[in-house]
Formats: sequence, C-alpha cells, structure tokens
Amino acid sequence: MKIEEIMVKKIESVEADATAYDAIEKMVDKRIRSLLVKPRDEKDVYGVVTVRNIVFKVLGKNLDPNKVRVEEIASKPIVSINRDMEIGHVISLMNKFNIARVFVHEGKEIIGVVALLDVMAASLIERARGGRVA
Amino acid sequence: MLEKVFFSGKTEQKVIENIKRHIKTLGSACEVFKEAVEKQDKELMLSVADLEREGDVIRREIISNIYEGAFLPFLRPSICRFVEIVDEAFDVLEDTAYEFEYLNSKLDKEIEDNCIKIADINLKMCEMLLIAFETLSSKEDLREKNLAIRIYEKKIDEIKFDLIKKLRKKEVKDFWEGKILSDFISYLTHVSDVIEDASDYLYIMNVSLR
Repeated sequence: MKIEEIMVKKIESVEADATAYDAIEKMVDKRIRSLLVKPRDEKDVYGVVTVRNIVFKVLGKNLDPNKVRVEEIASKPIVSINRDMEIGHVISLMNKFNIARVFVHEGKEIIGVVALLDVMAASLIERARGGRVA
Repeated sequence: MLEKVFFSGKTEQKVIENIKRHIKTLGSACEVFKEAVEKQDKELMLSVADLEREGDVIRREIISNIYEGAFLPFLRPSICRFVEIVDEAFDVLEDTAYEFEYLNSKLDKEIEDNCIKIADINLKMCEMLLIAFETLSSKEDLREKNLAIRIYEKKIDEIKFDLIKKLRKKEVKDFWEGKILSDFISYLTHVSDVIEDASDYLYIMNVSLR
C-alpha cells in the first residue's frame, strides 16, 4: 500500500512566531497532538511542534507558554517523504528516527501527514485483505 | 464441522454463491455511485437504482432457497438476517443516489473531495465484507476482517465530523436546499454503518458456529 492512500491531507499548522500557548490552544481545540510549523521565510524550513515539545520544553521547565515562541521549541527540519513510498519503508523510517509521524511532500509543499496510528490501521487492513488489491 | 454444517449440499452452495453475488452487486453499486459523483453523471447515478433492484431479486432468491430447506433450521434466521442487512445497505445507497439527483448531480467544491473519499471507503468496505464472507467458509477467524471494517468505519466517522463542520458554515438559500444536502450526507455516511452491522452479524455467526 502506498502512503498517499493513507495520508491525512488536512494539516493543521501554526506560524513560527506564534506563542506556545497559541499552539496549545489549537491542539486542544482540534484534539490533535502536533502542528506543522510554517517556515519563517524562504530560507527557513518546515518544523513540527508536538505535545512532547510543549510538555518537556515549556511546561516541565515551568516556563510561561505565553512567552515562548513556537520556533524555539519546534523540531526542525521535519522528516518528509514522497507520496508513492510504501508503508514498509515508512515504518523503517519511523523506527530509525524514533518519530511518531512523517510528513508527505510534493516539491516544496507539504501535502499530508501520516501518524503511527494511520500506519497501524493500514497495516491491519492490508493483513485482513491477505494480498487482495483494493 | 463448520464445513459440514455450512457448506454441505447443493442448495447450500447455491445460497452461498448467491450471497457472494449479492455482496458483489452491492460493491458494483458503490463503485458506480463513486464514479457518478466524480463525473457528476446523472445517467450513471441511475444505474445505482438498477443495481438495487438486481440486489432485491438476488435477496428474494436467497431467502426462498433457505426456506426451501437449505441449511440447518437453527442457522436459517441468522443467514436471512445477514442478507437483509446487506439489502438495507443497498436501500441507503439508493436513497443517497436520489438525493444526489435532487442536488442537480453537483456538489460544492469544498465538500466534494470528502464525499468522494467516503464513497471510496464504502466501496472498500464492501470488498472487505466479501472477503469476510468468503473467510467464513474456510475455518479461519473473522476477527481481523471485522476489525478492518471497523477501521474503515472510523475513518468515515472522522470525515463525517469534518463535513458537518463545513456544512454548518454553509449558507443555504431555502429550507429544501439545506434539507436535501443534509439528507445526502446522512445517507452517504450511513452506508458504512450498515455494512459494519453486516460484518458484526457475520462475526457473531462465525462465533456461534465454533
């Protein structure tokens, strides 16, 4: 199964100069665990801010989330792949880099995201199909 | 034991083949529906009703074969119920097709992708239901197939919430425009619920035959 079949096209993002509190608010409202951090300018690259980043780098250190900017705590650069990559490769990649999600790019644009749960669901469906093509 | 009870005689084989045909016809209806939405093709959408009628004919044949003596009596109501649930999926899909016609065979750009995605998952669920039914004949466990169908259904639920959010922001001209669009989305997202029910029923049959 190719990654484009399982990727989530709806990506929530946040500006690099937004505060950690803005990111928290968005994650709580949308019930998601990560946000794509937009590049500041053309020279900059995409990043990702996760619940882990917020908890360990802000709340755990007793910092004020209103005073911390997203770009200070975001992980950069993001790990991104082509839409035609097979699930098996993605699992290896996630394992190698110890990450829970990978982004999907087309040129310079980010067009989707695949999380561990998506990979698990897709693998289970593939297993149930027993090699029968959808 | 399972093979003996479930697949013994000629009449039983006939029923089994017809149930497979019934599910395949539902798959064809889902495929035609998806294509009709993608192409905004009114004529093609009419084929969904034709396939629903074909499904009705197959269902009647299955039920009469069963009551002519196929299968042990304790199994008959379960098989009939399963066939009726599959038939309900046909009905809901047909209702969706009619609503699409009332929408002038056109969807707004902002919801079109989501609707096509749901139609595609409905089709995949039919294929999985057929695989699950075929698995019943072998001695394999249906658990994995049932889980796969539940995963598909969950995906549709997620898309449904997203769709409802978009619909709430949409301005409608009059009561009927709003009602037709709302009904279309309700029916479209209900097909998967019914297929999931059919899969659950199949799983219960699988467990009861152990």
